[in-house]
Amino acid sequence: MPSIPDAVPSHTPRLTAALVGTPNCGKSTIFNALTGMRQKVGNFPGVTVEPKSGEVHIDKITTRLFDLPGMYSLTPKTPDEALSVAVLHGEHGALPKPDAVVFVMEGTNLEKSLFLYAQFAALNIPTLVAVTMIDGIKASGGVFDDIAMEQALGVPVIGIVGHKGIGLEELREHIALRGFSRPEAAENHIPVGEGIEAQYEWARALAGEVAHTPELDSLTTKLDAVFLHPVAGPIVFLAVMLLFFQSIFAWATPVMDAIEAGFGSLQNLVDTTLPAGIAQDLLSRGVIAGVGAVVVFLPQILILTLFITLLEDFGYLARAAFMVDRVMGVFGLQGRSFIPLLSSFACAIPGIMSARIIASEKDRLTTILITPLMTCAARLPVYVLLITAFVPSTMLAGFLSLQGLVLMGLYFLGGLSGLLVAKIFKSTMFQGTKLPFLMELPPYRFPTWRSVFFTLFHRTKQFLTSAGTTILTLSIILWALGEFPKHQAPPEASPIQAASLQLEHSALGTIGKTLEPIFAPIGFDWKVTIGVLGSFAAREVFVSVMGQVYSVDVSESDENLRTVLRSAISLPTALSILVFYVYALQCMSTIAVMKRETGSWKYPALAFGYTLLLAYGASLLVFHGARSLWG
Amino acid sequence: MNEIPVGSKARIVNYTQHDSFTERLREFGLTPGTIIRLLRKAPFNGPVEIQFRSSRIVLRPNEVTHMLLERIA
Repeated sequence: MPSIPDAVPSHTPRLTAALVGTPNCGKSTIFNALTGMRQKVGNFPGVTVEPKSGEVHIDKITTRLFDLPGMYSLTPKTPDEALSVAVLHGEHGALPKPDAVVFVMEGTNLEKSLFLYAQFAALNIPTLVAVTMIDGIKASGGVFDDIAMEQALGVPVIGIVGHKGIGLEELREHIALRGFSRPEAAENHIPVGEGIEAQYEWARALAGEVAHTPELDSLTTKLDAVFLHPVAGPIVFLAVMLLFFQSIFAWATPVMDAIEAGFGSLQNLVDTTLPAGIAQDLLSRGVIAGVGAVVVFLPQILILTLFITLLEDFGYLARAAFMVDRVMGVFGLQGRSFIPLLSSFACAIPGIMSARIIASEKDRLTTILITPLMTCAARLPVYVLLITAFVPSTMLAGFLSLQGLVLMGLYFLGGLSGLLVAKIFKSTMFQGTKLPFLMELPPYRFPTWRSVFFTLFHRTKQFLTSAGTTILTLSIILWALGEFPKHQAPPEASPIQAASLQLEHSALGTIGKTLEPIFAPIGFDWKVTIGVLGSFAAREVFVSVMGQVYSVDVSESDENLRTVLRSAISLPTALSILVFYVYALQCMSTIAVMKRETGSWKYPALAFGYTLLLAYGASLLVFHGARSLWG
Repeated sequence: MNEIPVGSKARIVNYTQHDSFTERLREFGLTPGTIIRLLRKAPFNGPVEIQFRSSRIVLRPNEVTHMLLERIA
């Protein structure tokens, strides 16, 4: 057994180690445990598509650790695999060739990991093997023989149970004490360059020798009998979606009301304690009204995050991809595209990045181009604000809220339009070679409360940070633009009239009114126009602009923003706004990531252009359609 | 692949063509000699799920034309 040096000299140079392994073998879980970081983990192949870097500290020894995307072999087939292989060969521009590798193997599927090892051994990098889920081997009555494995692989082997923390301390110590050795130390021959069949033969023989695992996990088989059933499967899928949209309104409203009340009393406190003037106005009508209008939607954002996280961690995402593959095929895409598209319902940015798991470049570009049409979390506040203002909270058949159904309709409208656009792209500019669909279905795993809690915590932090920085800054700018130049209202005007006159004559009012003619055909007045324009910095700004513009009305009438909006905006205009937000790409970060992932400005420009065209066209249709229907 | 009924097994005899897709299939562990079981088919001629050893993968049967199979049960 390769020994660990007892003492490491204090001048030990800093070491760079990389985590290597097959997709979905648990690298990111180990990475988080070792570095104390909170990288995203999930139960589907391709969660990590970009190397993540962190540090392992033990006894003042620091090791730099990279979490690399998973790979099946050293002959890459997808962009994320190509990246990992380049790093291992020392051919990645930005990342150094690692000094050592922590090779992560999936205990319940050793063959595949050992096959990868047979190819990897050719690089002869100092290595340490961590075998995950050894509890799975033992639970099925198997044994895990780490000594035999060390002899066969030529490197130290540590068994781990990630979610219980077993073996992690040993792993940390090995990393800190440089307990790595080169695969060439193996006692027997490893078939490094002898072809896939010979390598698998070796992997299978060794897997059978060191660990006895059952053929398949029976829980997964039982659950799949329901979730992938030709009839029950789609019903479950639809029921999960319905539950989600219903919960957005049913569960979030009480919390939302509480947050709203909190901001309301904060505004009152400022109004009563601070002397009337610029400072009071900035705080009350600028900051609190602007930021508060957005923060109110935190519960909805958390429900959305909870749903997506549970689906990802449980292993349902890959199943959904299997079920929708046929539908995707109609639009020229395949099931794999479904994973980035589904992630885009949280945010298009991780969605665009996870498109790296798609082997076909044409499919990848098409998927990236349609991600902005998937309804992201930033649209949720806009939708919920307008839906609660305009759609009655009636229950259909006693349990289906109409508001939930309308929201679901907006999500479907975006999704379906995206697929139609994909069809157009696939039959014009991205015509040709189709790459086959191939995907692994991971075993189901129950999400740990810890990981779900941290995801929610992280999302809350992110949302509040954005509200406290971007939205706050924009709110102050918009407030200032709305406050100056000062307009003297006639003495007989009421506070509401005075405020609206001020806004109308301010810089903001002037901008809105100048651009109003462009948006008038789709039913936007100058106030809505300002909100829509502000949204090009971040979509939530619409809500914050509405909060500011109508803040006087809200505080004077003791009503909330939703009831004030109902009288301020007509139904056709509200519908037109909703449809505009379904289509328009109003997000700087998305454009920047598209540029980075496609390596050209051509694609972000195309995406921005076509979505704007769609948004304007659809709003035009909806506005005039609604007006002729309801006068 | 299209001719194998759900629930039955087949052995991979060989691949009639070598390209990056058949290479990936072999890298997944679908090497000649491997016994696979067809677990299920998605409706409307959709993809199939196959099981071999401790893996489950999904693919489209009409795209797996170069895999020569022999039914065994």
